[in-house]
Order: sequence, then structure tokens, then C-alpha cells
Amino acid sequence: MPLAKILVAFKSVPDPADAGMSSHDIASKFVINPFDEIAIEEALRMRERGDVAEVAGVTIGPAAVDEQIRAAMAMGVDRVIRVDDSRALDPYAISRILCSLVGREQPSFVIMGKQAVDDDSNQVGQMLAGLLDWPQATFVSKIEFLDNYSRACCTRETDSGLEVIEVSLPAVITTDLRLNEPRYVSLPGLMKARRKTIEVATCEQLGITVQPLTVILSTARPPKRPAGTRVDSIADLVARLKNDAKVL
Amino acid sequence: MGQPLDVNQATREVFGNISPWMQVVFFAMMALSIGLLVRQMISHLWRWRKGRPGGFERNPRVWLQRLVIYALAQKRVHKKTLGALLHLLLFSGFVILTIGTTLLSIAHDGPYNFHHGWYYLIYELTLDIFGVAFCAGCLIAMYRRAFRRPPALGHDWRDWWLLGILLSLGITGFAVEALRLHYTQVQPWLAHWSIVGWLIDRSMLQGLTIGTAQTMHLWTWWLHTILVAIFFVTIPVDRFLHVITGPLNIALRPERPMGALVPLTIKEVEETGRTGVHDLQNFNRQQLLSLDACMECGRCEDACPAFAAGKPLSPKRVAMDLRDLMSLGGGDAHGVIPDETLWACTMCQACVQECPVLIGHVDLISDLRRDLIGEGKLFGPPAKILQQVANQSNPYGRPNNERLAWAEGLDVPTADSNPNFEYLLWIGCAASFDPRAQKIARATAQLLKAAGVNFAVLGKEETCTGDPARRIGDEFLFQERAQTNVATLSRHKVGRIVTPCPHCYNTLKNEYPQFGGEYEVEHHSNLLAKLMADGKLQPDAAGEETVTLHDPCYLARVNGEIEAPRAVIASPNEHKTREMPRCGKKTFCCGAGGGRMWFEEPPTQRVSNLRAEEAVATGAQVLATACPFCLNMMSDGLANTKGGERMKALDISEILLARQKRAGLTGR
Amino acid sequence: MAKSLIVIEHGPSGLKRSSLHPMTFARQVGDSYALLLLGHRLDALAPTLQSYDATSVLLADHPALAEPLADRYAAVIAEVACKESAQTVIASSSTFSKDVLPRVAALFEAPMVSDVLAVENIDGVSTYKRATHAGSMLANVRVTSDRCVLTIRPTSFAMPAPSSSLSPIEKLPVDETSLPKGMQFISREERVSDRPDLSDARVVVSGGRPLKDTETFERLVGGLADVLGGAVGATRAAVDCGMVPNDYQIGQTGKIVAPELYIGIGISGAIQHLAGIKDSRVIVAINKDPEAPIFQMATYGLVGDLHQLVPELIEALRRA
Repeated sequence: MPLAKILVAFKSVPDPADAGMSSHDIASKFVINPFDEIAIEEALRMRERGDVAEVAGVTIGPAAVDEQIRAAMAMGVDRVIRVDDSRALDPYAISRILCSLVGREQPSFVIMGKQAVDDDSNQVGQMLAGLLDWPQATFVSKIEFLDNYSRACCTRETDSGLEVIEVSLPAVITTDLRLNEPRYVSLPGLMKARRKTIEVATCEQLGITVQPLTVILSTARPPKRPAGTRVDSIADLVARLKNDAKVL
Repeated sequence: MGQPLDVNQATREVFGNISPWMQVVFFAMMALSIGLLVRQMISHLWRWRKGRPGGFERNPRVWLQRLVIYALAQKRVHKKTLGALLHLLLFSGFVILTIGTTLLSIAHDGPYNFHHGWYYLIYELTLDIFGVAFCAGCLIAMYRRAFRRPPALGHDWRDWWLLGILLSLGITGFAVEALRLHYTQVQPWLAHWSIVGWLIDRSMLQGLTIGTAQTMHLWTWWLHTILVAIFFVTIPVDRFLHVITGPLNIALRPERPMGALVPLTIKEVEETGRTGVHDLQNFNRQQLLSLDACMECGRCEDACPAFAAGKPLSPKRVAMDLRDLMSLGGGDAHGVIPDETLWACTMCQACVQECPVLIGHVDLISDLRRDLIGEGKLFGPPAKILQQVANQSNPYGRPNNERLAWAEGLDVPTADSNPNFEYLLWIGCAASFDPRAQKIARATAQLLKAAGVNFAVLGKEETCTGDPARRIGDEFLFQERAQTNVATLSRHKVGRIVTPCPHCYNTLKNEYPQFGGEYEVEHHSNLLAKLMADGKLQPDAAGEETVTLHDPCYLARVNGEIEAPRAVIASPNEHKTREMPRCGKKTFCCGAGGGRMWFEEPPTQRVSNLRAEEAVATGAQVLATACPFCLNMMSDGLANTKGGERMKALDISEILLARQKRAGLTGR
Repeated sequence: MAKSLIVIEHGPSGLKRSSLHPMTFARQVGDSYALLLLGHRLDALAPTLQSYDATSVLLADHPALAEPLADRYAAVIAEVACKESAQTVIASSSTFSKDVLPRVAALFEAPMVSDVLAVENIDGVSTYKRATHAGSMLANVRVTSDRCVLTIRPTSFAMPAPSSSLSPIEKLPVDETSLPKGMQFISREERVSDRPDLSDARVVVSGGRPLKDTETFERLVGGLADVLGGAVGATRAAVDCGMVPNDYQIGQTGKIVAPELYIGIGISGAIQHLAGIKDSRVIVAINKDPEAPIFQMATYGLVGDLHQLVPELIEALRRA
């Protein structure tokens, strides 16, 4: 029996292509977190293959993230729930919100990117799995269903190469870069997505109270790359690497 | 025999030897076969009518002009090849024989019979000569099919069947003539005008009794007649169809610059529910007609860089597969054209330039690509590129405020610092962000300054023209870019634009008018050549390295600019410039067009490698280009080619700048 | 004094040295710490851990823990952390700790800070510095709960110095029946190379097309990488012509690297490649063409023939 529903969690992040910009505090263009986009793509491909009937999305944020919700819908996500919260939540708080939403939605499994490219924490999927007491498969580059969809065989990208594990479903899966290449969404697709409604929920409605337990006090840019120098010889190069750059 | 020579007596009986009831059978048979032909053509018409209405050229003057150039004079067919020769013979024979037969029936069935006298004699001679041409054409075609077997032509038993019908038509026609001359005992002076029949009679039929000849004439005549009937029925179902659809498409294809794709409106998308073409009937009627105009000659395939590089694309197969789908009643076009085929196209327009019946392969592919984009079927690097065009306003994904990084230390005037500029120097994204191509921007700016040109750049106000988006198939992203840029250009009251990028050049010149942006656009080669001609740049070109020019498709083929880049790199020593076999309008793509610049390619399927081999074979030391994308691709191509390390790829502006520096950069 | 639990990582070749670096962090903030080692047949590994001033070396040794499955590991770690009354659970950043520790945080009911680069004591409270936005921003983070889970970047904290006193070893009871069983280990790809992984190597040596063939590539790029203990990467051109396998490719469409030291050999610097290396701390470029775009980005650029310069560099580094 194919699965009934996948829940894809995604986040709006400043376009990573703008990351090099000097004016980072000036709000740049926002996009779906690229790793989450891969998760969405994978869920859609599963639906297109007939592995699953419905792809539901969830994201947390103020109404401003609706633009990325539209993009997810334009890709093909059937419905999206936005948990309305404009606070700077930390991964633990986010995991708790997602946990209560999973209780409400009862998906066959949850899939999301391994990390958000703004915060780079790489925590939410694993935390959610821990809170739900579900198995987890992180940094996944391949997913196959086994035994009449009761288990998934996942290939994970680890420091020491590829690892294969099997998880029983429901589970939380987080995606790595090589899982797939997400589809491109064009304006007509976005226009069609405008006709879909976004479901909005609040923490009160979900019956939980969350507080961020980590606070970002300040941010700064790392020191800039000093102008490069031409060196004349290997001896010169080695001396500079040793004495100036101190990398040897 | 022995009668006095009276030219006015010269004629022949039209249905000599054919009894009245046989004539009735003849007319019935002809009516039936012509009826079948008409019925078939009507069913073709209905297939075309399934398409979106319109798309036809409406100006009769254009029709006439094109018919004369492409149908009558067959401009696209003529080449120094066997195929072109045999087509000329077949075409001229077919046309004259058709006209002759038509005249004969007019004379016979019309109110006034003019089929005698000098007219008759010249008629007989002319038809004999062109009959020979026709048969010769058939024989050459058979020889070509049997022994040369050009792969792009395609080979099928039906081709032999068709050629067999044609040749049999010719041979039986002459046999009928010879037998008629024999049994009617025509006087020699008269028979000489039917030269072929007379020769056959004299060489082969001597000794035949008049009675036998008459009987044989009857049977041969019937054979000939039946073949004619079969021929009529065959026209609408096979390669012959192009004799009708070819001229139709030639006349009716809409007039548009080669480099301009057709805009799509949101309204159309809402009406059809489709972005571009998904089902065959999303094509317009002219496009569907054009599919039936293809006679599978394969000229497009021979010219196609993607096909040559082993990619899964043949423009001919695209047209044929869509046509076959149409004959099955239509349906999902992507079912017959795989996505990889559509993405393989470089949109270099070589196929479009070659097609004798003016099929717009690139438009077909573009419409199908638009649907792929609308359906979310684009993945990977090119998808990222489009996102970057949308979000960062350039395909490189660089912050747009770094647009002037190339100009560091050059003191280049901007539209703000020099609002009264004459020329707007449109840099383009490649020359703005690609470190190698930035040198083109630097060289061009330095040359314009040296020549005292009053110019300015837009700096961070310049954004991608939208060309990659439009070619890949995201029409609305293109339109958004176009509208933004047109607004910027109007705000700065831009009248003349010069750009080192042929793709920007083409889009600004041929596509922005679709959005109200009318400018006088020049490629930098054109302006630099003018500055040289005016003596404002006086480069020292003596003792240069040998150079060969790679013509960018969107400069040479699409926009006809061939002389200017050559003038810029011209050397006083003629031996210093060499031409590749494929040059000028017949140039061969570098592989970057149609958005291919941004696709991953297996090394064995790189168009650039083929072109680099061709360049290396000239033995020149420098491969000059006039396009930042060509420069990028050709540099790669040279790196992958044996002997490529002895050759360096440079933009014409870089070559000119080096020469100008030798002469003193201040110029004038 | 607060107490930390430090999770130590090990693999087929023994203890992962970088997983000991959190002890330096703990010493810096003034915490006492216990070390926790999970797995099966750990007896040989434990003694090494005794000489780092830990309060104890805890061993969770059981066949059910033979493979690092996140659900079981997290359950054990969280239970031990509670039992040891640790306020902080720490490990070195790696795919192992990234997989397991957030799950520990969920069970430990604590927030987590990933990939800490530095710690500062401001008004008696620890403030953690960490990189965000792919390293283009640095954030100072404070935790407002009394418990937390941390991973630290091993290159930012040194290897701890050993001491003469021996910490006691404590074997923990593992109750297999209480462990989650939803995850099953199937297989792991055997590493063919001893070189570090491209994406988190401290040194990356990368080569382009002018290296010509696999043999030369391995001798020059591989040779240089081995002297420096670095990883090997390549340009698309080098991958395309079959010189090296696909997973070597660095660049926009390949791997993005940000090592301490990146050395590009025979790489002119196609924009796609440069995008994949721009966050490296020191970039060295060796190339024949003085106009090569990579020199605009290189910290140190050396113009010349790589076939002569690279062997010279390998030799110089060997001597040093």
C-alpha cells in the first residue's frame, strides 16, 4: 500500500547567492532553503512515482514567507501550513512546533533539508526525530522503500563515505545535496499556485508554548581577504605560507 | 510523306489511337485520382486547422517575393552538390511538364485550339528537353541513393517506389511519343521536333509494323496514364507532398528577424492552460503546415552542431516526428520529442538558414521548451542559472552592484557621470562577471576612450537582457528583464547602444522592439571598424600573428554582420588572416547558444571541440572571436584539442587593443 | 563547577583524534568533564582516554552499539548525561556528531549550538561564536537554559595536552531491550583513500587540465596533498577528461570547499571553479599564464611551469 502523506518542512532563507554582498543587513531576496528544496523535489518525485498520495508542506514564519510557500506550491506541493510566528526561533523551538504539527497531520514520514543555509545549524530533523521517538536518516542521497512501504532504505553521506541504513516508517529523513536536482519554477507555475490557499496555524492553536533558548547577541562579518601577492619562487612561497599565513 | 513543308500543318491528334469509350475511362480515372488528391489535401488542411489560429504572413508582396526567391529560383536548394543538381533537373522537368500538360488540356478542351504550327513545334521540343532533364534527375537521384547514400537524407523503400514512379512516367512518356511517331508515320521534319521520340523510333523501333506499333502505343499510353493517376494519389502521402506544401509554407511563414522569438502573453497561457506547446495543437496553424512541408532532405541535420557532436537532436527528426504525430491525429508532443532532444539545441539557426522550405525549427523547439519550463521539467545547473537571472539579475549569480568590477582603474564614464553620452556601452553579464571575458569589456572601453567616443555604461543599473531565459524557455522571466531594461534605457534617454556581446546585441536589436524598446544597436566590431575607417583608431597591424575568425552565430548568421569583425582584425599582409571552411553566415556554433552555455555536457558531445579542431586545422596562431561566450567555449575547446595549445583565443577587441597600444594608445 | 559530558568518536582505525579537542574547550570554560565512548569491544581504546584529566572515562560497550545508529546512541548519551548530572554535552563537529547530538538535545530537553568556533565569558555567561551563512557571517550566541548541547569545530580548539594522572574507567550497563530498534545498519562504503574528505579537509590541493593524465595528476597533486595531509580536488575539465573521478570536482556544480589552505595547480580559474573555493582562508595558485583569473583571487600566486615547480614544492615541504 503506497503511503498516504509526506510532510515536508521547509524554511525561507536569504538567497545564498547574495551571501557575498556587502549589504547583508539590507533584506535581500528570500528563497526556499536549497536543502529543503531538494526535500520537496524528492517528495514530489515520490508522489509522481505513485509512492505517496499527498505532499503536505509546513513552514514557520510571518506572512512574508508566503512567497516561498507559493514557490513550493508551484513546484507541486499539494498544500502548505504556515505556523505564524515571527520570532527568531531556535532549532529546538522549531522542532517542538513541528512535533506538535506532526501529531495533528499524522504523516507517513517527514522529510526536510539537512540544514538551513542561513543558520547552518543542522539540528531540526534530528531533534524532531528525537522528540517523536521516530527513527531518523540524515544526510541522505538515496531513498528506496521496502517491504510494502513499511521501511525505507537510505544511503547517507558521511565523512567516511557512503553508509546504508534501513529505517522503519514513520521516520524523519534529512536530505543532502546529491539526492536530486530540484525542478525550476516559472511565473505561470507561480500564478497557478496563487490560487491555492495557505493554511495558517498558530502555536496556541497547536496547543504549545515555545520560547527560543538560544539568542543571537550580535553578528559580524569575518575579516576580509587581504589583497593577493605574487611570489617569485617556491622558497618564497613556503616562507610566506609558514610565516605570514601560518598554514604550514 | 513527300508532302510540302507546311508549318501550319504541324500538330497532332490529342487522343489519337484512343477510342471515345477509352477516353471516358481516362477522364473517370483522372477525376478519381485528382479527387483523391484533393480529398487528401483537405484532410491535411483539417490537420493544420487543429492548431492555434493565425501565425500566417498576411502581406501578399512578401508571399510573391518569397515564392520567386525560394520556390521558383530555389535559393536555398542551390549548392555545388549532386543533390542540388538533381533537384534542379527534377524541379524544372516537373514544372515544365506540368505546365505543358495543363496547356495541352486547355488547348484540347478549351474554346480555341492553339496546339499547332510553330507553337506546337516549340512545345514538342521543349517538353522533350525537359523530359530528358526529368529522367536524368531521376537517374541521378537513384545513383545517389544507391551509391552515395548521404545519411542525412534518410533511406526507405518508399523512396525507390517514388523514384520508380517518376522515372517510369518519363520513360513511358517517351515510349508513347516514339510509338506514335512510328505508327502515324510522321514526316521526318516534323518528327525531328519530338527529338527524343524520334531518336527512339529510329534506333529501336525500326522493323516494327504499323499495326503492332499502334497496339503497343495503346498499351504504353494506358501504362503512362495509370502512372499519372498513381502519381496524383501519391503526392499527398509522401515526400512528393512538398511540391504543394513547400511553396505554401514559403509564402505563409511569418516575416520576422531570424533572431527574434515570438512573445507569449499571460492571456494566451490562461486561455490554453499551457505555457508554449504541450499538445501538437498548441502550435499555430502555420507551424503545423510547415511540418508537412518537410521533404526530409536533411540539409538541416547536416548543418546542426548538436547532431554533429553526437547529441540526441536532429532538426529533421524533430519536424518529422511531429509531422508523424500530426498524421496520427495529434496529442502530447513530448511523447515523441524527448526532453534531452529539446535541451540539446544551441539555437544557432543553422537549420533554419538551410531549410529550403523555410521551416522554423528553432521556433518549434522554443515553443516545446517553454512547456517544459512551465511544467517544471528543468533541473540542475541551468535551473540555477534562471534563478540567478531572476534573483541577482545576472546568470552568474553575482551581486549586481559588482557590475563595474571589470572597469577598475579605467575611469569609465557612467550614465550618471556622463548623462550626455552618444553611445551606451552595454557590457553584458559575461564581460561584466566572467574574469576572462572582463578583458573584452576593458579592451572595448579603452579603445572607445582612445578614439574619443562619447560613451557611458549603466553600471549596476544594467541587468541581464533576459536572452538566456528566453532561449531556455522561461519567456516571462525574459519579459520581466526586458521591461525592466527598457525602462532603464528610456530613463537615460538611450538612442544608440554598442555592445561586445552578440546575444545582447540580438536581443536589444531584434527582441526589445516587441516591448517598446527601439534603439540603434551596434556590435562593438561594427563601431570599432568604423572608428578605424575614420582614422580615429590607427592600429599597428604589421608583423602580426596569423589569425582566423570564428564568426558568432548571433552576429554573422542571425544578424548578417560578417565584414566588421574581419575589418577589425585585418592585416596589411593578407596571408596573416585565414578562413575556416565554415565561416561567415555558414559559421558553425561554438556550442554555447540556446542556453547550452549553462548545461553540463559529456566531454564527448562538446560542439566546441569540433569547432576548435576546425580552427586548429587552419594553422593560425590566434583564434579571434567576437562574443564572450564563444571566447569561453573556444578556450575550452582549444584546451581539449590536439594542437590547441599552439593557438590562443582572443576577442577582436583584445587583438585591436594590442595593435593600438603598439601604435600609441592615444590614437588620432 | 559545571560538568560536561564529552562524546568521543572512533572508527576502524581507532580513536578520532579531532574528537578529543572538546576537552580543550571544556578546560577553557572551566568545566570538569567525563568522556563517553560508545561502541562494541572498546577495551583497547579506553586506556588512551585515561590521561586527559577527565573525571571518568565511561564506556557503553555492547553489541547493540557496534554501529553508530542515532536513535540508540542518542538514548544512551542522554541517559548518561542525566545520570552524570552534566549540564553540557559536547562533541567535535563531524557527520557522526551532527547526526547524533541534536537528537540527544531533544531527549536531554536542551537547546544546541552547532559548530562553535570560539567561546567567550561575558558577565559570567558563556557566549559562543559560530559561523553562519556558509561562513560569510559570524554570530555570537548565548544559551538561556541551564543545559545545552554543543558541537565545536575541531580546527578552532587545539588537541588537549595529556596529563600524568589517570582517570578511572567505568563500564556502563547497557540494557538492550530499552534501546530503540527502528534503525538498522546495512553497509558502509570502504574508503579507498587515506586522504581526508574534501569538504572538511584543512588543506585541499586541486588540479586542472594541464596535468594531462591520471599518473601525473596523482604524482603532483596527490603527492603534494600527501605531504600536507590534505584532500585532493579537481576542476571540471580534469574530471571531464577522465583524469580523476567525479567526486573530486570542486566548483559551483561540484563540492564547495573552504579549507585553511587551498592550492590550485594548473587551474586558470573558470568562474564556476572559483565559486567553489572562494571561502578558503589561504589560496595558492601555480599557473603558467600570468593572466589567469585565479591570480585575482589567490593569496599567493606563482607563475611558472607546474611540472617543474610542484616537485620542487613537494621537496621543500618534505624538508621543512
